[in-house]
Amino acid sequence: MILQFLQVSNDSLFVYYLLSNLINLALLIVAIYKNSLHRHRLAGVRMDSAASPFSPPISLLVPAHNEELGIVANVNSLLQLDYPELEVIVVNDGSRDKTLETLVKSFHMHRAPIVYISEIGTASVTAIYRSSAHPRLLVLDKESAGCKADAINAGINAATSPYVCVVDADSILEKDSLSRIMAGVMCDPERVVAVGGIVRILNGSKVEGAELKEVHLPRKHIELLQVIEYLRAFLVGREAWAGFNLLPIISGAFGIFRRDLVLKIKGFRADAVGEDFDLIVRLHRYLLDHDTEYHINFIPDPTCWTEAPSDYGSLARQRARWHKGLLDTLWATRDMLFRKRYGRVGWVILPYMWLFECLSPLLEVVGYTTMILAAVCGCLSHEFFLEFLLFGYAFATLISVGSVLLEEMNYRRYSRWREVALLLVYCLFEHLPYRQLTMLWRLRGMWEYLRGDVRWHELKRTGVSAQVEG
Amino acid sequence: MVSGSSWLNDLGYAWLVVRAILFSLVGILLLVGFIVFRRWYRGRYFDRLSRRTLALRAQWPEILSGATSGTAWRLNSFDCRIVEDILLDSIQVCDEEQLPTFLICLRNSGLLDLRVRQARSAEGWEQRSALLALGRTRAPEAVPALVEALGSPSEETIVAAVRGLSRISSPQAAMPLLELFVSEQLNVPEHILKNALLNCCRRNPALLVPYLNSAQGRTRELIARVLGELANPSLGEDLLTLAADPLPEVRASAARALARVPPEISFPVLSILALDTEWFVRLRAVIALSTIEHHRKAYVLLRALCDLNRHVRQRAAWALARVHQGKEEILEKVVATRDNYALQAFLSELERDDSLDEALDGLGKVVNQAAGAADVEGVAAAVRKHFAGRGTVAAAMNDDLVEEESVMPDDFVLQYDLPGLERRGSLDSALDGRGNIVDRVPGATAVEDAAEVVTKYFIGLDKAGEGNRRQQ
Repeated sequence: MILQFLQVSNDSLFVYYLLSNLINLALLIVAIYKNSLHRHRLAGVRMDSAASPFSPPISLLVPAHNEELGIVANVNSLLQLDYPELEVIVVNDGSRDKTLETLVKSFHMHRAPIVYISEIGTASVTAIYRSSAHPRLLVLDKESAGCKADAINAGINAATSPYVCVVDADSILEKDSLSRIMAGVMCDPERVVAVGGIVRILNGSKVEGAELKEVHLPRKHIELLQVIEYLRAFLVGREAWAGFNLLPIISGAFGIFRRDLVLKIKGFRADAVGEDFDLIVRLHRYLLDHDTEYHINFIPDPTCWTEAPSDYGSLARQRARWHKGLLDTLWATRDMLFRKRYGRVGWVILPYMWLFECLSPLLEVVGYTTMILAAVCGCLSHEFFLEFLLFGYAFATLISVGSVLLEEMNYRRYSRWREVALLLVYCLFEHLPYRQLTMLWRLRGMWEYLRGDVRWHELKRTGVSAQVEG
Repeated sequence: MVSGSSWLNDLGYAWLVVRAILFSLVGILLLVGFIVFRRWYRGRYFDRLSRRTLALRAQWPEILSGATSGTAWRLNSFDCRIVEDILLDSIQVCDEEQLPTFLICLRNSGLLDLRVRQARSAEGWEQRSALLALGRTRAPEAVPALVEALGSPSEETIVAAVRGLSRISSPQAAMPLLELFVSEQLNVPEHILKNALLNCCRRNPALLVPYLNSAQGRTRELIARVLGELANPSLGEDLLTLAADPLPEVRASAARALARVPPEISFPVLSILALDTEWFVRLRAVIALSTIEHHRKAYVLLRALCDLNRHVRQRAAWALARVHQGKEEILEKVVATRDNYALQAFLSELERDDSLDEALDGLGKVVNQAAGAADVEGVAAAVRKHFAGRGTVAAAMNDDLVEEESVMPDDFVLQYDLPGLERRGSLDSALDGRGNIVDRVPGATAVEDAAEVVTKYFIGLDKAGEGNRRQQ
């Protein structure tokens, strides 16, 4: 009986891995095709002047919670972005440090009697500040509701532009990133409702006054592995899914949305653990419910640089939180699964997210255990066991090397020979032992979520703030 | 292989895995090899490019004048591309006087003919890059090839052709675009088309007018929007007609354009557009008013300061705070409106403009009368107190507004006056009501409460207004 179970389990695992790898291979092929198209299209897009008076206005929303050290440099860099119609709204989300005072002092801000209509319910907004030095800057001071989503919602309420762009206060946008991301809207403004850009890892790069001076790879192994992981996730996964209009997530660190639609779905869900994923799935649901033709786009070269966790503890907490967010949103939208009304979203991307993202750590642990047991019991040859592991490892490494190829062919942010060689070497370590570590962290997230622990554990950030100030 | 269910065994379980491993390893090696090869090849390519560019730059005056024989570089595709890139980059930044020199070189070397041929006979990316390159030449003879491409079945080719025509930036390039667009045969993203028309009609915006007159709906709005950006004083009469257009987007564009017309023509029309039913038309009118110089504009802006829409109010406050003289008088009239939002918006703008003290000085330092009035709300309370009981100012202001009506041209009075009076009547009552309502909300810091009450109030107003309109 046990042997039979082990056999069935091993067979299922084999099919699961095969399917997972085939999907990844298909995504890589689609991504290579789409990335090459994008490179050609960019030549044309650059001809549409970024300074065109017809560029639609954007409200840049910056939720800030205890960001006293880096906020001035970051706001300064946002105010200098190359985009003709830009409004920067910083939402001071109940900071306990001197974030607000620093902003008021540095940007000559004063309280302004602006009517704030709370179209999306948020924690109380206590004051609105305008700057006499920068007419495009607005600061909202609000009580903290303990989540970023609430701060973003307050910013959406105060925004006056048809498009809102959410940016993390500790991230750095490249100067032309807004013009580039808006190219994703302007190619079809009637249909495109949201666009995501790529998020890259800032650790190791040279930053002066919140401006990226030189791009370098980070030095720590754990940071380097995350660079590969981000390249694979953005350049392969998101690019390919967006090609089928099945993009399941736009990163909370950098994305642009149509404000009217975000208002219609009542903004970011304040009690969502992963508010960015949750918003996109709810957008899909709303638009499909209303039989609206739409496209959620991804543009791979408007870049947002962000600091990644540089120690195992912080990374573990981040990954656990991401997995809680994934599970939380998938559970909340389970009624969309296999429903005709939700088309490809209900039949393809959500089942994929359940099977190959959400449940993968569980299935992998079960799989490894049953394979070891089967090998010990003698119902699985040791050779096959090793071959199977080698297969999984080699195939996943192929996808990682493919993402480095995409980076090298199209974007070349890491231009030195040494850096490319380093990326290729680290591709070998992404799936052993890094992947197994993340699997454990994700399992922990799953366990915490099932126990009802959805607290936001603060991450330890070390580099960017210090560099920004320096 | 000891086990595995039968169907997988039948497939050749281990065989499959070994093949997959081999496939993956070969794939990894190929990808790594490709990356290494590509980097090496690019390194060599750029070295060569740099060397040849240096060599060609050394002969540049001769190449440009034709003293160096075309065969020396024209028949070498690598050199040919370098020369074309240099020429196109130079054309991009040169002025009208320098342009013929570069065009002669393009024509005499046959580079222009080569691109025209590619634009007509090539396909895919080659055709699109030829179209973009043709646009960058700014040569009139490139226009027919670009126009031909507008009839392509491929949407991307059409977009490339529109972008090419946009770069040509001449009226000859604009006309085919406009003709196709007005006859609804051109389907490209609006943003690209607007930019193209903007570039092509910059020197002669009057070119848009006949097409605008024959266009309808969305097409009309788009052309009006471009015209709004490009208008110049010579278009005065045409813009007056547009200000009475039934499409609000067109009226908003007219308001935008009127900012560039002499104030004696634009002011009466902008005064009417500042009372439009659509908030964005009123906003555009207020923005335009803030840019023109007219001795009576303060009255219109005062009325806009009491607008139902906060964007209009804020912009009017911004403009009023930047009026050079008579800020005390304006402040007095703002108070007379009995509109708390208007007063706070204006005081806030005065503060941003660093002229609050100056305005208050003129009123006898009223701010000193309010103990601890450190912020705008405190100042506003003090100012209200100062003016308490001075109702005559409100009456004087109303007289001014009535007097303002008399400067409107007759045809506009016919079209707007009666509905305008009706609208103003409801606006006045709304403002009275709003003053009361805001007073009932304790402190402006309770912004959410205030917003909620005000929103409810205006929803009620809108419904009542809608009911009235239906009855009529």
